[in-house]
Amino acid sequence: MDSAQYAELFLTESREHVSAINHSLLELERGEGGAEPVGAIFRSVHTIKGMSATMGYGPVASLSHELETLLDRVRQGRRTIDPPLMDLLFRSADVLEGAIEAAVGGDATRVDVEPLVAALKADSARNGASGPAAGGARAGGVPAPSAPDVGAWTAAAPAGAGLLVRVRLATDTALKGVRAFLVVQAARALGEVTSCSPAVEQLQADEFDHDLALRLQTTRTAEEVEAALRTAGDVVEVRTGEDPVVTPSLSDTIADMGDTGEFSALSGAPARAPAGDGTSASGAVRQQRSVRIDLRRLDNLMNLIGELVITRGRLSQISVALNDPALAETVAQATRLVADLQDEIMTSRMVPVWQVFDRFPRLVRDAARSVGKSVDLVIEGKEVELDRSMLDEVGDPIVHLLRNAVDHGIETPDVRRAAGKPEQGRLTLSALRDRSAVAIRVSDDGRGIDRDRVLRRAIADGLVESTRTELTDEELLRLISRAGFSTAETITDLSGRGVGIDAVYNRVRALGGSVDIRTAPGKGTTVTLRLPLTLAIVRSLLARIGDETYAVPMTHVSETVELHPKILRTLKGREMLMLRDEVLPVMRLRQLMGYDGAPKRGLEQVVIVEMAERRAGLVVDDLIGQQEIVVKQFDGVREGLALFGGATILGDGAPALIIDVSSLL
Amino acid sequence: MSHTVLICDDAIFMRTMVGDILQQAGFEIVGEAETGVQAVEKYKLLKPDLVTMDIVMPDMGGIDAVREITKFDPSAKVLMCSAMGQQALVVEAIQAGAKDFVVKPFQPSRVLEAVQRVLG
Repeated sequence: MDSAQYAELFLTESREHVSAINHSLLELERGEGGAEPVGAIFRSVHTIKGMSATMGYGPVASLSHELETLLDRVRQGRRTIDPPLMDLLFRSADVLEGAIEAAVGGDATRVDVEPLVAALKADSARNGASGPAAGGARAGGVPAPSAPDVGAWTAAAPAGAGLLVRVRLATDTALKGVRAFLVVQAARALGEVTSCSPAVEQLQADEFDHDLALRLQTTRTAEEVEAALRTAGDVVEVRTGEDPVVTPSLSDTIADMGDTGEFSALSGAPARAPAGDGTSASGAVRQQRSVRIDLRRLDNLMNLIGELVITRGRLSQISVALNDPALAETVAQATRLVADLQDEIMTSRMVPVWQVFDRFPRLVRDAARSVGKSVDLVIEGKEVELDRSMLDEVGDPIVHLLRNAVDHGIETPDVRRAAGKPEQGRLTLSALRDRSAVAIRVSDDGRGIDRDRVLRRAIADGLVESTRTELTDEELLRLISRAGFSTAETITDLSGRGVGIDAVYNRVRALGGSVDIRTAPGKGTTVTLRLPLTLAIVRSLLARIGDETYAVPMTHVSETVELHPKILRTLKGREMLMLRDEVLPVMRLRQLMGYDGAPKRGLEQVVIVEMAERRAGLVVDDLIGQQEIVVKQFDGVREGLALFGGATILGDGAPALIIDVSSLL
Repeated sequence: MSHTVLICDDAIFMRTMVGDILQQAGFEIVGEAETGVQAVEKYKLLKPDLVTMDIVMPDMGGIDAVREITKFDPSAKVLMCSAMGQQALVVEAIQAGAKDFVVKPFQPSRVLEAVQRVLG
């Protein structure tokens, strides 16, 4: 069978399992959940093992096999959970992930699993791995005994009454011990099995070559017995009747007698699976039924819906003109269907945030360990959904914020203890959905940002007036999000990698979102990212120039004011707007667009637009109101369209250009 | 009339693969279950001719599911799907009423042989 078609499926499911493994490892490290995390990890590793073996991904299969063996020992309490074990398991999760990606990518040799496989084996060996319970190790690690010559029977003839039956299994029989058990079961269906060689425990433990012998008291004919036992599967030869030449030595006979067991011993023989082995409920492995769809397809669907909306607008107009009740009703129905379709397409682009959040606990743990801190990351609102491309884009900014909090927000354990705080810092990442936006919040209980230091630095740089004695949260944010702004200490270079909060700020704003920061000295810092649900739908302020409509994304609108002549000044030949104690440059959209003449009505309106720390007044003829619009991207930047980030179709079918505030400023 | 099959495995990957093998051999896949609890429920609902059962599943493991199914229908034909290193569990499953087993990685011919044996 061509396995290639399954590679995609394998990758999707394996990634989910690796994510679940990391999740459970963190639980295990915190000592939560009792035996359940080990059971959950075991199940995930086991599933990966089965899938990778089927795919022929050798390195993944052998690694997961060794890992499973070790986990089985942990599960049975034969390997204690200590820091070296946790390190080994975390490392295993990383290498396993790499090996999975490499195998699917067609370059299985890129990740060398051998050192880790050796380390896992060494751990098992150090802690006394031998013993029947380590079934996985035996099955995979020890080669099966070489096949006997066909025709030679290795099992001693058991003593007792009944027909002697010898059965040989194929040399490539999988789980031959179980197969042998099925043979015995088949025999029991025909009569009474009085003895067996080797004994059942040994058969089950694969401790035999490929043949077994038993005594059967039955009324059936030899032919019937042979036929029945062959149905057990993998049986290549059945022979009934006493051996032609039986000359066992005395010692063999004694040993054989010792090996001869009663079948009643069977029922108690196999250990019941521990509770973690699939018998208890678990939410750790998330079930996600999915079809992978190229995002471009969804984008195309979104575009087509836009076209459909235009057509629907025209259709409505025609319908009104014709004044036909049947047509009007049909158009109304089509309108509802189009709206539903639009909703469905939007929804199909939404994915729960845990798809990205799930890697953060591990990231925070590693980051905290590297700087000698102890941090507890709490994630809330995992199921909140966000547009797939939005989620991808926002991952990096969140990583920055988390690193910032670990590196600079949360104090070292001794500092915290001295301040009367718990030694372990608390970091909360939450996602919250409200009507048309998702708020993602990163909150720590660390030292907070030093406002005075920021203020002194800002005064020194001439960014605020020297008479100021304190900063508002908004001013603080605007200051620390300036590229290159820094105080003597690492206040803005928060991530420790030379990327400050300005990168976060600009990224989020580019996505149509906003950033809010709240900080209290000694109590901690909370950064809130507000993001639209999707990149394709933007809440916008609609403005008018002449008969044309323009849209300004609301994320860039700070407020609107009427353009009273008294708030206008001319400074150095440029028109400026006096807004309270702020002086803003004025941009007249009418002139930018090359319209002739003046607006018809009296007072124009000013939209105060902002982008990062830059603000300006955009003068328009009139304001229409706010509306959610579907963004249709241009195929490329065309001549004269640099000011626009796209276009939209309004409810009446008329097009409107969307102003790109970043290029305006 | 083709035989009906219920496939129980927590991995979509495995369900797809077993499903493909059986479908190509002319079987009708009437249902899939991803937990032991689902397997039992669906068995009672669908009464399939054959059940393929993974051993390690969340919620209720395959062995308990076999036990429940056999309790409901002593003539149920269940084929266990096992991995290497699960001898004891497979034996337990057979004692619980499973008729045969196949070992991952699956080879289509092996799976079909086992299915034929189970269906008699």
